[in-house]
Amino acid sequence: MVYWGMMKRILTTVFFAIAVLSCHAQGPRPTDIGASRQATGAPGVAWYTTWDTALAEAKRSQRPIFFMAAAAQCDGISGVF
Amino acid sequence: MFATEEFIEASRKFVCVRLESCESKEHQDRIREFLNGRFENTAFCVLSPDGEKRLSGTGRSPQMGFGIRGRPVVGGPDEKENNQKAIGEMEKIAARYPAKAGVAAAVVQDFHTFKQALNVASGDQRLLVFTVAAKKDRDGLKKSMRQVANHPGALGRFHYDFADTVDAQWSKVVRGDHNKTGIFIIRSGEFGQDGQVMAELPLTSSAGVILSELAEANKDFAATEKRKVYSEHVEKGRREGVKYQDNMPWGEDRDADGKIDARRGRPGGRGRR
Repeated sequence: MVYWGMMKRILTTVFFAIAVLSCHAQGPRPTDIGASRQATGAPGVAWYTTWDTALAEAKRSQRPIFFMAAAAQCDGISGVF
Repeated sequence: MFATEEFIEASRKFVCVRLESCESKEHQDRIREFLNGRFENTAFCVLSPDGEKRLSGTGRSPQMGFGIRGRPVVGGPDEKENNQKAIGEMEKIAARYPAKAGVAAAVVQDFHTFKQALNVASGDQRLLVFTVAAKKDRDGLKKSMRQVANHPGALGRFHYDFADTVDAQWSKVVRGDHNKTGIFIIRSGEFGQDGQVMAELPLTSSAGVILSELAEANKDFAATEKRKVYSEHVEKGRREGVKYQDNMPWGEDRDADGKIDARRGRPGGRGRR
């Protein structure tokens, strides 16, 4: 009985740990993204798309680098971020 | 978050780089640096201006990198608060690293290939400014284009690419081009694998003329381009048999063994972003 109670506590702790970790700071799922709320043609983030050009600009301006990587396709369906 | 006015304003204090995850081994190696050897389709980190020092944690998203908990529903009440926390962390970093040179002379964006430029322009739903010139003229054009790309009326509205040897066949996937060299304002197709030239300008065009053409083209684009819905776009692509060939296999290597993980019995695996 004592053994079962201890196991139950351990399992409960593990369950909550997994639950917390799995929802820790994740972005939205692709299926939840929907359409961009930004108007088409409006100014957005001025992305650099090669490391070399970004590093050259960061060294020139001494601005920090905001680095992201993302796939512009989903399972081979292109034209989407 | 990236589409909000607050984030876009905060982003101007940074040099924002977004590498395409499956474009090259070089890109994937850089992602592995930030994810303890793992390869996942998204990665994030803030770095010092020399690219050497990490100024944030790392993870798949800014929220993960900044240690912000929760997965707010898109458009839900927690999303704004979650975004504000990330922007707050960015502001703290920006205060420690203020720009020492004006943005007006910032280096102009470029792509490794025209193929990737078309696809990214389609994904972001922005017009692409594609400059095709003899090799000897390219460096000069990259400098003169700074007046255009960094103009307050153009900043963040377009993508820019300069043709290189690898792009020799670019006109085969584009309609409406007349000359072999020039500055081409291109509207990328729905799946980013073809495009339509909206305007074509001589390489000698002044910044004022280019800006004027861009404003006109963007006005037309904004009036006729409907925002994509991610899931609908992917579903349509599947129905139409769209296939985009990347240089690297799709999928993720979550166990950091250097190989893309197999998923659901598919050797080599095919992951989603």
